[in-house]
Amino acid sequence: MSKLSAWVPAALARPFTAVGGVLFLLAAMLPWATFLLNDGAYPEKATLQFFDAPFELTGFRWHLLLFGAAAIVITFVPLPGKARVLRALGWGGLIIGLVGAIFIASEGGGLGAITAADGNTALGSIVALLGGIVLVLGATATGIEDLPHWPTRLGSSPIQQRLTAYVVLIVAFAGVLWLVSATLTAGGIGGAAFPYAGPIFLAYLGFAGGLLAALHGVGLARWISQLSEEHRAFSIVVLLACACALPFTEAGSQYWMQVAATIGVYAATAIGLNIVVGLAGLLDLGYVAFLGIGAFVAANLSGAAASSLGWDLPFPLAALIAAVVAGIFGAIVGSPTLRVRGDYLAIVTLAFGEIFYRSSQNNIGDLTGGSNSIPGIPPVTMFGTPFNEPFTLFGTELPTGVLYYFLIVVIVAIIMAVFANLKNSRIGRAWIAVREDEDAARAMGIRTGQVKILAFLVGAMLAGLAGAVFVHKLGTASYSSFQFLESVTLLAAVILGGMGTIPGAVLGASLLFVLPEKLREFDDYRLLVFGLALVFIMRFRPQGLVPDRIRRAEFAGETAEGKPIEEVEEQVVLEHEQAEHEAPSAPKEGKA
Amino acid sequence: MSAAQHRAAETVLQANGVTMIFGGLTALNEVTISLEEGRIVGLIGPNGAGKTTLFNCLTGLYTPTRGSVRMRGKELPSDPAKVTAAGIARTFQNIRLFPNMTVLENVLVGRHLRMRQGPIASVFHGPVFRKGERDAKEKARELLTFVGLTSLEDEVARNLPYGDQRRLEIARALATEPDVLLLDEPTAGMNPQETEAARQLIFRIRDTGISVVVIEHDTKFIFSLCDTVSVLVQGEVLVEGSPETVRDDPRVIEAYLGKPREEVEAEVAEAAEALEHREGNA
Amino acid sequence: MTTLLQQIANGLVLGATIGLIALGYTMVYGIIQLINFAHGEVFMVGAFGGLAVYRWVLPEDIRDDWYISLPAMLVGGVIIAIVVAVLMERLAYRPLRNAPRLAPLITALGVSVALQEAVRLWFPDATSAQAFPRVFVDAQIDIGPIAISASQLLLIVVSIVLAVLLQLYISKSRMGRAMRATSMDRDTARLMGVNPDRVIVLTFVLGAALAGVAGVLYGSNINLIANDIGFQNGIFAFTAAVLGGIGSLRGAVIGAFIIGLIKTLGGQYLPGGTDYDYVWIFVVLILVLVFRPQGLFGEVERMRA
Repeated sequence: MSKLSAWVPAALARPFTAVGGVLFLLAAMLPWATFLLNDGAYPEKATLQFFDAPFELTGFRWHLLLFGAAAIVITFVPLPGKARVLRALGWGGLIIGLVGAIFIASEGGGLGAITAADGNTALGSIVALLGGIVLVLGATATGIEDLPHWPTRLGSSPIQQRLTAYVVLIVAFAGVLWLVSATLTAGGIGGAAFPYAGPIFLAYLGFAGGLLAALHGVGLARWISQLSEEHRAFSIVVLLACACALPFTEAGSQYWMQVAATIGVYAATAIGLNIVVGLAGLLDLGYVAFLGIGAFVAANLSGAAASSLGWDLPFPLAALIAAVVAGIFGAIVGSPTLRVRGDYLAIVTLAFGEIFYRSSQNNIGDLTGGSNSIPGIPPVTMFGTPFNEPFTLFGTELPTGVLYYFLIVVIVAIIMAVFANLKNSRIGRAWIAVREDEDAARAMGIRTGQVKILAFLVGAMLAGLAGAVFVHKLGTASYSSFQFLESVTLLAAVILGGMGTIPGAVLGASLLFVLPEKLREFDDYRLLVFGLALVFIMRFRPQGLVPDRIRRAEFAGETAEGKPIEEVEEQVVLEHEQAEHEAPSAPKEGKA
Repeated sequence: MSAAQHRAAETVLQANGVTMIFGGLTALNEVTISLEEGRIVGLIGPNGAGKTTLFNCLTGLYTPTRGSVRMRGKELPSDPAKVTAAGIARTFQNIRLFPNMTVLENVLVGRHLRMRQGPIASVFHGPVFRKGERDAKEKARELLTFVGLTSLEDEVARNLPYGDQRRLEIARALATEPDVLLLDEPTAGMNPQETEAARQLIFRIRDTGISVVVIEHDTKFIFSLCDTVSVLVQGEVLVEGSPETVRDDPRVIEAYLGKPREEVEAEVAEAAEALEHREGNA
Repeated sequence: MTTLLQQIANGLVLGATIGLIALGYTMVYGIIQLINFAHGEVFMVGAFGGLAVYRWVLPEDIRDDWYISLPAMLVGGVIIAIVVAVLMERLAYRPLRNAPRLAPLITALGVSVALQEAVRLWFPDATSAQAFPRVFVDAQIDIGPIAISASQLLLIVVSIVLAVLLQLYISKSRMGRAMRATSMDRDTARLMGVNPDRVIVLTFVLGAALAGVAGVLYGSNINLIANDIGFQNGIFAFTAAVLGGIGSLRGAVIGAFIIGLIKTLGGQYLPGGTDYDYVWIFVVLILVLVFRPQGLFGEVERMRA
């Protein structure tokens, strides 16, 4: 990014960003399509002339308007992190423009659809694109500053500080809740019934991404995370409360509850994988097998008619056993890692994954039902309520599946706590040390073999737990749910989200699950895009979306402030040279 | 040296007849070295003499083909992690820090051995766990102060200047509470001020009761630092003794320069004569 | 007894295919320490390339003249395989030369998935398996009690010949020497005037060529190809390369024949039958990587401090 700053001289920064903002405003008001899309009003009356119905701005046009106005205002206002904010707004608008341009052009059969055809002109998308480019160039012209620091203690007395922190946290997490609800419902449900869901959702992602990046650039994200670090217990409570409040928002339909619950399962599994890959740096290509082991164990203990064991244990106990059994297998798979180097480890784990897949396909030990799988798994029943029925809370009837959602929230919360605690402990540091330099770690007295097995064990246990919930929610335990591709997808979720962080794993899992839902009409291309996305991410942003400090340093060569490490190194060398200049010494005659 | 230091010191580390053969190459041949408690031993020699190989044998990274390494009389374990647990710590010739971890975290990893909290305690973060973490951080900070890196606690290790990285490596090694510290070229790339600071640091380390072995190319540094010096040439110990003995030994000079000192002096005298002769003629 | 011999023959045929692919794996790993997950897809693409030539390039009347069709398909398959491999190296792997090890590995996975899907989407009708013509003499050769088809014999002969040629090239030619030097110490090789980029591209080209040949001959043998043949055969080939010792050409070929035999004989005689034959191969892979990672003919890596 710092290379972009060479394109525009610093003096032109303000004009550029102001013009960019104006262009956004313009784009919001212009028509975007030269024809009426056949299946109704997309995207929010794309052919509307602003002055015909001035207050009918909705959706992406409203977003562009906001961004444009914000960009113009911020250009002239001293704001900490200004360049970052403007850059974020620019990218967000650019993406909105890009999505609109590509979609309308492809629907309309060519560039004419977004420029001029049949006597109509519609330059909205092009103007938006242009505005985005100008804004980004203008923002980076003055160079990107460090992330701003906000004070974490506001108010004179400890009580005041605590209260203000609490208020801020509540507002912040409520905002997150609103954002999640809006994201889930943006564009509605995809598929043949509503073909515009995809592009509307993608444009919305542009907006949400830009907004979040802008808030991050101002320093808000770091401030909130610092505050939540200082008030851990409270933050966790609020976060849980917000998660439980999701069913009461717009996203409270049965469909979205189901989606949210599935995301939860994937997120839980991704967090477990994050321990193996993100912390300990062990590339596991067969991880989904542990999800499967947990699933089959739980299936066999659930009292399902098709299971050969025929045992029926209460869910918590079955889940625990599933976790333990998966953990044991994790240790078994992990023990060869004592000897095996990085790349080979990937293959060994892949082999184990395939062995699991084939064995379960062949109904090994009569435990997996083979091609018939194990259908008819009864729903979880706790406190007398089966989980697949609607549920009434505080007088509101909540849709079916809500209880699974609550269960997943609890489990994800537990897994998150486990992850965070482990990361900030002796064993967490040992994992990271082994990943950074195994020989040096060994020289520090770390028993690297044991440490690696432990990573596998813990990761597998968490996956097993998730698998138990997964199989009850789905109702069937089938070998086909646990193929190599799923392992790759989970790995992609961890990497895309950002290795080594919890928000990263959750974000990655969410994106990889929500996007196919929204972009149903592109389902055929899903895997292709997925493969290409992996290539692109590794090429352009290998540290993922929400990397932790260490990965940022490792992959992107940046410090936690987001400054490229080379710059910091140059600075240090300069300071060193200056110090030497002031206290000159004869050059040393030794050899390095 | 004071009378107290002259008192019969226990041999803390003893390598006897250590021979290391890789394929057809004999890297070390019957090397015998002893380190007494509270002493600083220097190890010098031309490049490729086998100094780092010897260190690797002393820390369990390599298992000697022949010969033995004993610590306080006991045979050394074969796993480097166990060797560190037994009390031998080392730094590396080409600095092996954990590059993307902070300075404090690097030292905390060094504390790993001496901390008790297992994985189960780490999941729950109970009061015992938190006390353990606090103690570890306190001890780590003490070590950073000891080597002079206090203000850089939260810096990412990669960012540090070379000299600071070497000091960090030493702090990290000290965190394992060793009895013996092996330093591999600790002053490589340092300017004279930093070298002097390193020398003082090593004395301070020795004063805490740790015995030190230092590999170095800077002979001046070694001679001003060590109680005993061993010269390693092509895998064999050429000379072992006090700095003065080693410095004046003609074999050492020959090993470094390739000729005995008298020959060198004779050549210089000849060249000077030839020059005079020419100027005289002109 | 007949069954045993028959299965041995089948195993050797499978081994021949796998050997050609394994050579590519072992060469690339030897030179840039990358497990090119997508190499199996190069094999698959080669097969489809040959089929494409047959369907759309060859005029209908000479299609049945195998002495024209076969070479044409081989050339077509090899060219397409090489193009794909070179693009892969240039666009996906080269920019990541200095990245942490995780990055190129993930990229390779991505490329593999993308290639499979690309073929499925854009090769006509490739959502189901495609018939592949037997472009060779349709004869059975009897060797004692067992019968082996001419195409199978061709496959075995070709793979051994190509492996020997490759070995000669690497050991005797100038470029081959450059390849060996680069795989041992890239920086020093560069100092000696070797252009590592060129050498790496050449490695990919050679590997792709072999895989392309394997693809066409595989198709000619089995008469059915699908977009997922790359994954399975790729894993087998990688196992073979590891078993033989990564970096050793001889090892790759010998390992491949061993793996082929394990699959056929294991499927025949070990419990679980053909349902578990893949499992045995994976077990072998795990055992080799754990207990003898240098394989049969590879070198032990020494730790340096």
